[in-house]
Amino acid sequence: MMSAPTMSEQTARPGASILTAVAVRNLTKTFAAPGAAGRFTVLDAITLSVGEGEFVSIVGPSGCGKSTLLNIIAGIESHESGAVMVGSRAGHAGSQARIGYVFQSPRLLNWLTVQANIEFVLEAQNIPRPRWQELVAKHLALVGLAGQEPNYPLNLSGGMQQRLAIARALAIEPDVLLMDEPFSHLDAITARKMRFDLLDILAKARTTILFVTHDLSEAVFLSDRVYMMSIRPARIFKEVRVDVSRPRRPEDSRILDLEKTLVREFFGALEAK
Amino acid sequence: MTLALGLLAWEGISKFFLPVIFPGPLELLDRIFAIYSDPASYRVVGQSLSRIFVGFIISMLAGTAFGILMGLKRDVEIFFDSWIMVLLTVPAVCWAFLSVLWFGISETAPILTIVLIVFPFVVMNIWEGTKALENDLIEMGRVYKADRPLMLRKVLIPQLTPYIFSSLRIALSLSWKIALVAEAFGAGSGVGQELINWFQDTRVDMMLAWGASFMIVMVLIDRLVFRVWERRVFAWRPQFAT
Repeated sequence: MMSAPTMSEQTARPGASILTAVAVRNLTKTFAAPGAAGRFTVLDAITLSVGEGEFVSIVGPSGCGKSTLLNIIAGIESHESGAVMVGSRAGHAGSQARIGYVFQSPRLLNWLTVQANIEFVLEAQNIPRPRWQELVAKHLALVGLAGQEPNYPLNLSGGMQQRLAIARALAIEPDVLLMDEPFSHLDAITARKMRFDLLDILAKARTTILFVTHDLSEAVFLSDRVYMMSIRPARIFKEVRVDVSRPRRPEDSRILDLEKTLVREFFGALEAK
Repeated sequence: MTLALGLLAWEGISKFFLPVIFPGPLELLDRIFAIYSDPASYRVVGQSLSRIFVGFIISMLAGTAFGILMGLKRDVEIFFDSWIMVLLTVPAVCWAFLSVLWFGISETAPILTIVLIVFPFVVMNIWEGTKALENDLIEMGRVYKADRPLMLRKVLIPQLTPYIFSSLRIALSLSWKIALVAEAFGAGSGVGQELINWFQDTRVDMMLAWGASFMIVMVLIDRLVFRVWERRVFAWRPQFAT
Protein backbone atom coordinates (compact mmCIF):
# COMPACT_ATOMS: atom_id res chain seq x y z
CA MET A 1 0.00 0.00 0.00
CA MET A 2 1.22 3.46 -0.80
CA SER A 3 1.66 6.06 1.85
CA ALA A 4 1.04 9.69 1.07
CA PRO A 5 2.96 11.84 3.50
CA THR A 6 1.65 15.07 2.05
CA MET A 7 -1.85 14.01 2.90
CA SER A 8 -1.38 13.45 6.60
CA GLU A 9 -1.31 17.09 7.54
CA GLN A 10 -4.41 17.97 5.62
CA THR A 11 -7.84 18.43 7.06
CA ALA A 12 -9.97 17.31 4.19
CA ARG A 13 -13.71 16.78 4.11
CA PRO A 14 -15.11 15.12 7.19
CA GLY A 15 -14.90 11.41 6.59
CA ALA A 16 -11.77 11.74 4.50
CA SER A 17 -8.96 9.57 5.70
CA ILE A 18 -5.28 9.50 4.98
CA LEU A 19 -5.64 6.36 2.90
CA THR A 20 -4.83 6.86 -0.73
CA ALA A 21 -7.56 6.07 -3.25
CA VAL A 22 -5.64 7.11 -6.35
CA ALA A 23 -1.91 7.47 -6.70
CA VAL A 24 -0.19 8.50 -9.91
CA ARG A 25 3.60 8.57 -9.94
CA ASN A 26 5.71 10.04 -12.70
CA LEU A 27 3.22 9.22 -15.40
CA THR A 28 4.34 9.97 -18.94
CA LYS A 29 2.33 9.50 -22.10
CA THR A 30 3.35 10.25 -25.66
CA PHE A 31 1.52 10.09 -28.96
CA ALA A 32 2.95 9.60 -32.40
CA ALA A 33 3.19 13.06 -33.93
CA PRO A 34 0.77 13.24 -36.86
CA GLY A 35 2.51 13.49 -40.19
CA ALA A 36 5.98 13.86 -38.72
CA ALA A 37 8.56 11.52 -37.32
CA GLY A 38 8.94 11.24 -33.58
CA ARG A 39 6.44 11.54 -30.78
CA PHE A 40 5.08 14.39 -28.73
CA THR A 41 4.52 14.30 -25.03
CA VAL A 42 0.92 14.51 -23.85
CA LEU A 43 1.54 13.99 -20.17
CA ASP A 44 4.91 14.77 -18.67
CA ALA A 45 5.89 13.19 -15.36
CA ILE A 46 2.52 13.64 -13.69
CA THR A 47 2.43 12.86 -10.00
CA LEU A 48 -0.71 13.24 -7.94
CA SER A 49 -2.71 11.52 -5.26
CA VAL A 50 -6.27 11.49 -4.06
CA GLY A 51 -7.03 10.51 -0.48
CA GLU A 52 -9.99 8.33 0.31
CA GLY A 53 -13.11 10.48 0.59
CA GLU A 54 -11.29 13.48 -0.81
CA PHE A 55 -12.50 15.76 -3.63
CA VAL A 56 -9.57 16.65 -5.87
CA SER A 57 -9.72 18.69 -9.07
CA ILE A 58 -7.34 19.07 -11.95
CA VAL A 59 -7.66 22.40 -13.72
CA GLY A 60 -6.08 22.93 -17.09
CA PRO A 61 -6.74 24.50 -20.47
CA SER A 62 -8.60 22.53 -23.13
CA GLY A 63 -6.45 20.00 -24.91
CA CYS A 64 -3.88 19.79 -22.14
CA GLY A 65 -4.40 16.05 -21.69
CA LYS A 66 -6.72 16.01 -18.69
CA SER A 67 -9.11 13.53 -20.28
CA THR A 68 -6.20 11.36 -21.37
CA LEU A 69 -5.04 11.28 -17.76
CA LEU A 70 -8.49 10.19 -16.58
CA ASN A 71 -8.64 7.52 -19.28
CA ILE A 72 -5.29 6.14 -18.17
CA ILE A 73 -6.49 6.02 -14.57
CA ALA A 74 -9.68 4.31 -15.77
CA GLY A 75 -7.53 1.74 -17.55
CA ILE A 76 -8.76 2.30 -21.10
CA GLU A 77 -5.63 4.03 -22.37
CA SER A 78 -2.03 2.95 -22.15
CA HIS A 79 0.95 4.92 -20.91
CA GLU A 80 4.71 4.66 -21.44
CA SER A 81 6.13 5.02 -17.97
CA GLY A 82 5.13 5.70 -14.42
CA ALA A 83 2.71 3.99 -12.09
CA VAL A 84 -1.02 4.26 -11.51
CA MET A 85 -2.71 2.79 -8.47
CA VAL A 86 -6.40 2.87 -7.77
CA GLY A 87 -8.14 1.62 -4.67
CA SER A 88 -6.68 0.95 -1.28
CA ARG A 89 -9.44 -0.97 0.37
CA ALA A 90 -8.48 -4.47 1.42
CA GLY A 91 -9.27 -6.93 -1.33
CA HIS A 92 -9.17 -4.32 -4.04
CA ALA A 93 -6.03 -4.79 -6.04
CA GLY A 94 -5.30 -2.16 -8.66
CA SER A 95 -7.02 -3.68 -11.69
CA GLN A 96 -9.94 -4.88 -9.59
CA ALA A 97 -10.73 -1.39 -8.37
CA ARG A 98 -14.21 -0.13 -9.11
CA ILE A 99 -14.09 3.05 -11.12
CA GLY A 100 -17.09 5.26 -11.76
CA TYR A 101 -16.81 7.67 -14.66
CA VAL A 102 -18.98 10.66 -15.52
CA PHE A 103 -18.21 12.02 -18.95
CA GLN A 104 -18.83 15.45 -20.49
CA SER A 105 -21.94 14.16 -22.19
CA PRO A 106 -24.11 11.65 -20.32
CA ARG A 107 -23.27 8.72 -22.65
CA LEU A 108 -26.45 6.88 -21.76
CA LEU A 109 -27.86 3.89 -23.59
CA ASN A 110 -30.93 5.64 -24.94
CA TRP A 111 -32.68 2.38 -25.88
CA LEU A 112 -32.67 1.21 -22.27
CA THR A 113 -34.87 2.51 -19.48
CA VAL A 114 -33.39 4.58 -16.67
CA GLN A 115 -33.33 1.44 -14.52
CA ALA A 116 -31.73 -0.71 -17.22
CA ASN A 117 -29.03 1.91 -17.79
CA ILE A 118 -27.90 1.48 -14.20
CA GLU A 119 -28.32 -2.28 -14.36
CA PHE A 120 -25.96 -2.30 -17.34
CA VAL A 121 -23.00 -1.21 -15.19
CA LEU A 122 -24.08 -3.43 -12.30
CA GLU A 123 -24.00 -6.39 -14.66
CA ALA A 124 -20.70 -5.25 -16.16
CA GLN A 125 -19.17 -5.11 -12.68
CA ASN A 126 -20.55 -8.53 -11.71
CA ILE A 127 -22.57 -7.15 -8.84
CA PRO A 128 -24.96 -9.89 -7.70
CA ARG A 129 -28.44 -9.54 -9.18
CA PRO A 130 -30.35 -9.62 -5.86
CA ARG A 131 -28.69 -6.32 -4.92
CA TRP A 132 -29.67 -4.50 -8.14
CA GLN A 133 -33.13 -3.37 -7.09
CA GLU A 134 -31.82 -1.77 -3.93
CA LEU A 135 -28.77 -0.15 -5.56
CA VAL A 136 -30.82 1.32 -8.40
CA ALA A 137 -33.51 2.73 -6.12
CA LYS A 138 -31.01 4.12 -3.64
CA HIS A 139 -28.88 5.96 -6.17
CA LEU A 140 -31.77 7.26 -8.25
CA ALA A 141 -33.20 8.73 -5.06
CA LEU A 142 -29.80 10.19 -4.22
CA VAL A 143 -29.64 12.18 -7.47
CA GLY A 144 -33.31 13.15 -7.34
CA LEU A 145 -34.58 10.78 -10.01
CA ALA A 146 -36.69 8.52 -7.80
CA GLY A 147 -39.63 7.08 -9.71
CA GLN A 148 -38.00 7.55 -13.14
CA GLU A 149 -37.08 3.87 -13.41
CA PRO A 150 -39.36 2.99 -16.36
CA ASN A 151 -38.68 6.21 -18.28
CA TYR A 152 -36.33 6.48 -21.24
CA PRO A 153 -33.30 8.83 -21.20
CA LEU A 154 -34.41 10.90 -24.20
CA ASN A 155 -37.51 11.91 -22.25
CA LEU A 156 -35.29 13.48 -19.58
CA SER A 157 -33.79 16.99 -19.66
CA GLY A 158 -30.05 17.44 -20.15
CA GLY A 159 -29.52 18.03 -16.44
CA MET A 160 -31.54 14.95 -15.54
CA GLN A 161 -29.58 12.85 -18.02
CA GLN A 162 -26.35 13.93 -16.37
CA ARG A 163 -27.85 13.09 -12.96
CA LEU A 164 -28.60 9.64 -14.27
CA ALA A 165 -24.99 9.34 -15.42
CA ILE A 166 -23.92 10.26 -11.88
CA ALA A 167 -26.32 7.74 -10.36
CA ARG A 168 -24.96 5.10 -12.74
CA ALA A 169 -21.40 5.87 -11.65
CA LEU A 170 -22.26 5.82 -7.94
CA ALA A 171 -24.36 2.66 -8.14
CA ILE A 172 -21.30 0.46 -8.47
CA GLU A 173 -20.05 1.95 -5.18
CA PRO A 174 -16.78 3.01 -6.80
CA ASP A 175 -13.39 3.31 -5.15
CA VAL A 176 -13.06 6.53 -7.06
CA LEU A 177 -15.41 8.58 -9.19
CA LEU A 178 -13.74 10.21 -12.18
CA MET A 179 -15.55 13.24 -13.58
CA ASP A 180 -14.51 14.79 -16.87
CA GLU A 181 -15.97 18.32 -17.13
CA PRO A 182 -19.38 16.87 -16.30
CA PHE A 183 -21.22 20.20 -16.27
CA SER A 184 -19.61 21.90 -19.25
CA HIS A 185 -22.41 20.88 -21.61
CA LEU A 186 -25.15 22.30 -19.36
CA ASP A 187 -26.44 25.86 -19.26
CA ALA A 188 -24.99 28.06 -16.50
CA ILE A 189 -28.04 27.90 -14.23
CA THR A 190 -28.42 24.13 -14.46
CA ALA A 191 -24.66 23.70 -13.98
CA ARG A 192 -24.74 25.84 -10.84
CA LYS A 193 -27.59 23.81 -9.41
CA MET A 194 -25.81 20.60 -10.32
CA ARG A 195 -22.71 21.69 -8.41
CA PHE A 196 -24.71 22.27 -5.23
CA ASP A 197 -26.46 18.97 -5.70
CA LEU A 198 -23.20 17.14 -6.35
CA LEU A 199 -21.87 18.31 -2.99
CA ASP A 200 -25.13 17.24 -1.31
CA ILE A 201 -24.91 13.84 -2.96
CA LEU A 202 -21.31 13.40 -1.92
CA ALA A 203 -22.04 14.37 1.67
CA LYS A 204 -24.30 11.30 1.70
CA ALA A 205 -22.36 8.94 -0.55
CA ARG A 206 -18.85 9.74 0.78
CA THR A 207 -17.22 9.01 -2.54
CA THR A 208 -13.67 9.82 -3.55
CA ILE A 209 -13.64 12.17 -6.53
CA LEU A 210 -11.11 13.12 -9.13
CA PHE A 211 -12.66 15.98 -11.07
CA VAL A 212 -11.30 17.49 -14.25
CA THR A 213 -12.32 20.95 -15.44
CA HIS A 214 -11.10 24.07 -17.23
CA ASP A 215 -13.20 26.23 -14.90
CA LEU A 216 -11.13 27.44 -11.95
CA SER A 217 -14.05 28.76 -9.91
CA GLU A 218 -15.85 25.45 -10.29
CA ALA A 219 -12.75 23.63 -9.07
CA VAL A 220 -12.24 25.91 -6.07
CA PHE A 221 -15.88 25.76 -5.04
CA LEU A 222 -16.08 21.98 -5.19
CA SER A 223 -12.67 20.71 -4.12
CA ASP A 224 -10.58 19.97 -1.09
CA ARG A 225 -7.50 20.24 -3.22
CA VAL A 226 -6.77 21.58 -6.70
CA TYR A 227 -3.96 20.66 -9.08
CA MET A 228 -3.17 23.13 -11.82
CA MET A 229 -1.96 21.76 -15.12
CA SER A 230 -0.10 23.50 -17.94
CA ILE A 231 -0.25 22.72 -21.64
CA ARG A 232 2.64 21.59 -23.86
CA PRO A 233 4.20 20.08 -21.95
CA ALA A 234 1.35 18.98 -19.70
CA ARG A 235 2.74 19.24 -16.21
CA ILE A 236 1.25 19.86 -12.83
CA PHE A 237 2.75 23.17 -11.80
CA LYS A 238 0.85 23.89 -8.63
CA GLU A 239 -1.15 22.19 -5.91
CA VAL A 240 -3.50 24.22 -3.69
CA ARG A 241 -5.56 23.24 -0.70
CA VAL A 242 -9.00 24.86 -0.34
CA ASP A 243 -9.36 25.35 3.37
CA VAL A 244 -12.96 26.44 3.48
CA SER A 245 -15.41 24.53 5.61
CA ARG A 246 -18.50 22.90 4.12
CA PRO A 247 -21.26 23.54 3.29
CA ARG A 248 -19.90 26.28 1.06
CA ARG A 249 -21.43 29.09 -0.91
CA PRO A 250 -19.82 30.03 -4.24
CA GLU A 251 -20.04 33.69 -3.17
CA ASP A 252 -18.11 33.06 0.05
CA SER A 253 -15.36 35.70 0.20
CA ARG A 254 -12.68 33.15 1.10
CA ILE A 255 -13.54 31.17 -2.02
CA LEU A 256 -13.65 34.26 -4.20
CA ASP A 257 -10.32 35.50 -2.82
CA LEU A 258 -8.62 32.18 -3.42
CA GLU A 259 -10.12 32.08 -6.88
CA LYS A 260 -8.71 35.54 -7.71
CA THR A 261 -5.23 34.59 -6.54
CA LEU A 262 -5.32 31.36 -8.51
CA VAL A 263 -6.64 32.97 -11.68
CA ARG A 264 -3.73 35.42 -11.58
CA GLU A 265 -1.25 32.62 -11.03
CA PHE A 266 -2.84 30.26 -13.51
CA PHE A 267 -2.90 32.65 -16.43
CA GLY A 268 0.44 34.09 -15.37
CA ALA A 269 1.95 30.65 -15.73
CA LEU A 270 0.16 29.89 -19.00
CA GLU A 271 0.95 33.18 -20.65
CA ALA A 272 4.56 33.27 -19.48
CA LYS A 273 5.29 30.69 -22.16
CA MET B 1 -57.55 9.95 -55.45
CA THR B 2 -54.63 9.43 -57.82
CA LEU B 3 -55.08 5.73 -57.20
CA ALA B 4 -58.72 5.93 -58.27
CA LEU B 5 -57.84 7.84 -61.44
CA GLY B 6 -55.09 5.35 -62.21
CA LEU B 7 -57.49 2.45 -61.84
CA LEU B 8 -60.03 4.20 -64.06
CA ALA B 9 -57.43 4.84 -66.78
CA TRP B 10 -56.25 1.24 -66.53
CA GLU B 11 -59.79 -0.05 -66.92
CA GLY B 12 -60.33 2.28 -69.89
CA ILE B 13 -57.17 1.25 -71.73
CA SER B 14 -57.77 -2.43 -71.08
CA LYS B 15 -61.01 -2.19 -73.08
CA PHE B 16 -58.94 -2.00 -76.27
CA PHE B 17 -57.17 -5.30 -75.60
CA LEU B 18 -58.01 -8.90 -74.99
CA PRO B 19 -58.00 -9.76 -71.25
CA VAL B 20 -55.36 -12.46 -71.83
CA ILE B 21 -52.95 -9.76 -73.13
CA PHE B 22 -53.83 -6.72 -71.01
CA PRO B 23 -56.51 -7.35 -68.40
CA GLY B 24 -58.32 -4.52 -66.57
CA PRO B 25 -58.53 -4.28 -62.79
CA LEU B 26 -61.99 -5.82 -62.64
CA GLU B 27 -60.94 -8.81 -64.71
CA LEU B 28 -57.83 -9.14 -62.60
CA LEU B 29 -59.95 -9.16 -59.45
CA ASP B 30 -62.11 -11.83 -61.02
CA ARG B 31 -59.04 -14.02 -61.80
CA ILE B 32 -57.63 -13.55 -58.30
CA PHE B 33 -60.97 -14.61 -56.91
CA ALA B 34 -60.95 -17.65 -59.17
CA ILE B 35 -57.45 -18.63 -58.06
CA TYR B 36 -58.20 -18.46 -54.38
CA SER B 37 -61.51 -20.30 -54.58
CA ASP B 38 -59.42 -23.35 -55.49
CA PRO B 39 -57.98 -24.88 -52.30
CA ALA B 40 -54.95 -26.22 -54.22
CA SER B 41 -53.78 -22.61 -54.75
CA TYR B 42 -53.14 -22.18 -51.06
CA ARG B 43 -50.68 -25.05 -51.15
CA VAL B 44 -48.87 -23.35 -54.06
CA VAL B 45 -48.61 -20.10 -52.13
CA GLY B 46 -47.55 -21.99 -49.02
CA GLN B 47 -44.70 -23.68 -50.89
CA SER B 48 -43.38 -20.35 -52.12
CA LEU B 49 -43.78 -18.69 -48.74
CA SER B 50 -41.88 -21.44 -46.93
CA ARG B 51 -38.97 -21.18 -49.41
CA ILE B 52 -38.95 -17.40 -49.10
CA PHE B 53 -38.88 -17.55 -45.34
CA VAL B 54 -36.16 -20.15 -45.11
CA GLY B 55 -33.98 -18.20 -47.56
CA PHE B 56 -34.84 -14.89 -45.93
CA ILE B 57 -34.07 -16.07 -42.41
CA ILE B 58 -30.79 -17.73 -43.36
CA SER B 59 -29.74 -14.56 -45.21
CA MET B 60 -30.71 -12.28 -42.32
CA LEU B 61 -29.01 -14.31 -39.59
CA ALA B 62 -25.84 -15.07 -41.52
CA GLY B 63 -25.70 -11.61 -43.08
CA THR B 64 -26.13 -9.79 -39.76
CA ALA B 65 -23.52 -11.89 -37.98
CA PHE B 66 -21.09 -11.58 -40.87
CA GLY B 67 -21.72 -7.85 -41.27
CA ILE B 68 -20.97 -7.23 -37.59
CA LEU B 69 -17.85 -9.35 -37.81
CA MET B 70 -16.64 -7.43 -40.87
CA GLY B 71 -17.38 -4.14 -39.19
CA LEU B 72 -15.54 -4.96 -35.99
CA LYS B 73 -12.59 -7.04 -37.22
CA ARG B 74 -10.30 -5.19 -39.54
CA ASP B 75 -8.64 -8.31 -41.00
CA VAL B 76 -11.97 -10.01 -41.73
CA GLU B 77 -13.06 -6.82 -43.46
CA ILE B 78 -9.95 -6.66 -45.64
CA PHE B 79 -10.21 -10.33 -46.56
CA PHE B 80 -13.88 -10.40 -47.55
CA ASP B 81 -14.34 -6.87 -48.87
CA SER B 82 -13.94 -7.75 -52.54
CA TRP B 83 -15.70 -11.13 -52.21
CA ILE B 84 -18.85 -9.40 -51.06
CA MET B 85 -18.60 -7.08 -54.05
CA VAL B 86 -18.21 -10.08 -56.35
CA LEU B 87 -21.31 -11.74 -54.87
CA LEU B 88 -23.23 -8.50 -55.31
CA THR B 89 -22.36 -8.11 -58.98
CA VAL B 90 -23.30 -11.60 -60.20
CA PRO B 91 -26.69 -11.30 -61.96
CA ALA B 92 -29.58 -13.00 -60.19
CA VAL B 93 -30.36 -15.14 -63.24
CA CYS B 94 -26.87 -16.66 -63.15
CA TRP B 95 -27.39 -17.85 -59.60
CA ALA B 96 -30.79 -19.23 -60.50
CA PHE B 97 -29.35 -21.24 -63.38
CA LEU B 98 -26.33 -22.40 -61.39
CA SER B 99 -28.47 -23.52 -58.47
CA VAL B 100 -30.66 -25.61 -60.76
CA LEU B 101 -27.60 -27.15 -62.42
CA TRP B 102 -26.04 -27.95 -59.06
CA PHE B 103 -29.12 -29.11 -57.17
CA GLY B 104 -31.66 -29.93 -59.89
CA ILE B 105 -35.38 -29.50 -59.37
CA SER B 106 -35.42 -29.34 -55.59
CA GLU B 107 -36.15 -27.30 -52.51
CA THR B 108 -32.47 -26.41 -52.22
CA ALA B 109 -32.16 -24.65 -55.57
CA PRO B 110 -34.56 -21.73 -54.96
CA ILE B 111 -33.44 -21.32 -51.33
CA LEU B 112 -29.77 -21.24 -52.34
CA THR B 113 -30.56 -18.68 -55.04
CA ILE B 114 -32.25 -16.44 -52.47
CA VAL B 115 -29.40 -16.73 -50.00
CA LEU B 116 -26.69 -16.07 -52.58
CA ILE B 117 -28.38 -12.84 -53.64
CA VAL B 118 -29.85 -11.53 -50.39
CA PHE B 119 -26.99 -12.41 -48.04
CA PRO B 120 -24.44 -9.93 -49.51
CA PHE B 121 -27.03 -7.13 -49.41
CA VAL B 122 -27.61 -7.75 -45.72
CA VAL B 123 -23.86 -7.92 -45.07
CA MET B 124 -23.31 -4.58 -46.86
CA ASN B 125 -26.06 -2.87 -44.91
CA ILE B 126 -25.04 -4.10 -41.45
CA TRP B 127 -21.38 -3.51 -42.22
CA GLU B 128 -22.28 0.08 -43.10
CA GLY B 129 -24.10 0.29 -39.78
CA THR B 130 -21.04 -0.74 -37.77
CA LYS B 131 -19.19 2.24 -39.23
CA ALA B 132 -21.74 4.52 -37.57
CA LEU B 133 -21.28 3.00 -34.10
CA GLU B 134 -20.66 5.60 -31.44
CA ASN B 135 -17.21 5.32 -30.01
CA ASP B 136 -18.26 7.29 -26.92
CA LEU B 137 -20.61 4.54 -25.84
CA ILE B 138 -18.09 1.79 -26.52
CA GLU B 139 -15.63 3.70 -24.36
CA MET B 140 -18.26 4.00 -21.63
CA GLY B 141 -18.77 0.24 -21.73
CA ARG B 142 -15.03 -0.35 -21.50
CA VAL B 143 -14.64 1.99 -18.51
CA TYR B 144 -17.25 -0.05 -16.66
CA LYS B 145 -15.58 -3.28 -17.82
CA ALA B 146 -18.54 -4.68 -19.74
CA ASP B 147 -17.56 -8.01 -21.28
CA ARG B 148 -18.01 -8.83 -24.95
CA PRO B 149 -21.46 -10.47 -24.82
CA LEU B 150 -22.85 -7.64 -22.69
CA MET B 151 -21.39 -5.03 -25.07
CA LEU B 152 -22.96 -6.79 -28.05
CA ARG B 153 -26.37 -7.11 -26.42
CA LYS B 154 -26.71 -3.70 -24.85
CA VAL B 155 -24.40 -1.36 -26.75
CA LEU B 156 -23.65 -2.60 -30.27
CA ILE B 157 -26.75 -4.42 -31.52
CA PRO B 158 -29.19 -1.73 -30.32
CA GLN B 159 -27.23 0.83 -32.35
CA LEU B 160 -27.47 -1.45 -35.38
CA THR B 161 -31.24 -1.92 -35.03
CA PRO B 162 -32.16 0.73 -37.63
CA TYR B 163 -29.86 -1.02 -40.10
CA ILE B 164 -31.28 -4.41 -39.16
CA PHE B 165 -34.79 -3.15 -39.89
CA SER B 166 -33.85 -1.67 -43.23
CA SER B 167 -32.14 -4.98 -44.02
CA LEU B 168 -35.30 -6.88 -43.09
CA ARG B 169 -37.28 -4.79 -45.57
CA ILE B 170 -34.78 -5.08 -48.40
CA ALA B 171 -34.23 -8.76 -47.70
CA LEU B 172 -37.92 -9.61 -47.76
CA SER B 173 -38.69 -7.71 -50.93
CA LEU B 174 -35.65 -9.16 -52.67
CA SER B 175 -36.37 -12.67 -51.39
CA TRP B 176 -39.84 -12.93 -52.82
CA LYS B 177 -38.91 -11.54 -56.21
CA ILE B 178 -35.96 -13.89 -56.47
CA ALA B 179 -38.02 -16.79 -55.20
CA LEU B 180 -40.44 -16.43 -58.10
CA VAL B 181 -37.62 -16.32 -60.64
CA ALA B 182 -35.89 -19.30 -59.05
CA GLU B 183 -39.12 -21.28 -58.94
CA ALA B 184 -39.79 -20.52 -62.56
CA PHE B 185 -36.42 -22.05 -63.43
CA GLY B 186 -36.51 -25.11 -61.32
CA ALA B 187 -38.58 -25.91 -58.36
CA GLY B 188 -41.41 -27.75 -60.05
CA SER B 189 -43.89 -26.01 -57.80
CA GLY B 190 -44.79 -22.71 -56.18
CA VAL B 191 -46.04 -19.38 -57.48
CA GLY B 192 -43.06 -19.04 -59.83
CA GLN B 193 -43.98 -22.32 -61.46
CA GLU B 194 -47.57 -21.09 -61.91
CA LEU B 195 -46.23 -17.97 -63.60
CA ILE B 196 -44.16 -19.96 -66.08
CA ASN B 197 -47.08 -22.31 -66.81
CA TRP B 198 -49.43 -19.45 -67.58
CA PHE B 199 -46.68 -17.73 -69.54
CA GLN B 200 -46.49 -20.74 -71.83
CA ASP B 201 -50.25 -20.45 -72.38
CA THR B 202 -49.81 -16.68 -73.00
CA ARG B 203 -52.26 -15.88 -70.24
CA VAL B 204 -51.12 -12.45 -69.00
CA ASP B 205 -54.28 -12.13 -66.92
CA MET B 206 -53.47 -15.24 -64.90
CA MET B 207 -49.81 -14.30 -64.53
CA LEU B 208 -50.76 -10.89 -63.21
CA ALA B 209 -53.38 -12.38 -60.92
CA TRP B 210 -50.81 -14.71 -59.35
CA GLY B 211 -48.14 -12.03 -59.15
CA ALA B 212 -50.39 -9.29 -57.80
CA SER B 213 -52.02 -11.43 -55.14
CA PHE B 214 -48.65 -12.65 -53.96
CA MET B 215 -47.37 -9.07 -53.85
CA ILE B 216 -50.28 -8.11 -51.62
CA VAL B 217 -49.33 -10.85 -49.16
CA MET B 218 -45.75 -9.51 -49.02
CA VAL B 219 -46.84 -5.90 -48.51
CA LEU B 220 -49.13 -7.03 -45.70
CA ILE B 221 -46.23 -8.83 -44.01
CA ASP B 222 -44.17 -5.66 -44.23
CA ARG B 223 -46.95 -3.47 -42.85
CA LEU B 224 -48.37 -5.77 -40.22
CA VAL B 225 -45.23 -7.44 -38.96
CA PHE B 226 -42.21 -5.21 -39.56
CA ARG B 227 -43.83 -1.82 -39.03
CA VAL B 228 -45.53 -2.87 -35.81
CA TRP B 229 -42.41 -4.56 -34.55
CA GLU B 230 -40.33 -1.49 -35.40
CA ARG B 231 -42.68 0.79 -33.48
CA ARG B 232 -42.30 -1.37 -30.41
CA VAL B 233 -38.53 -1.66 -30.67
CA PHE B 234 -38.13 2.11 -31.08
CA ALA B 235 -40.50 3.02 -28.25
CA TRP B 236 -37.55 4.75 -26.58
CA ARG B 237 -37.45 7.42 -29.28
CA PRO B 238 -39.66 10.32 -28.22
CA GLN B 239 -41.20 10.66 -31.71
CA PHE B 240 -42.30 7.02 -31.61
CA ALA B 241 -43.87 7.31 -28.15
CA THR B 242 -47.62 7.06 -28.10
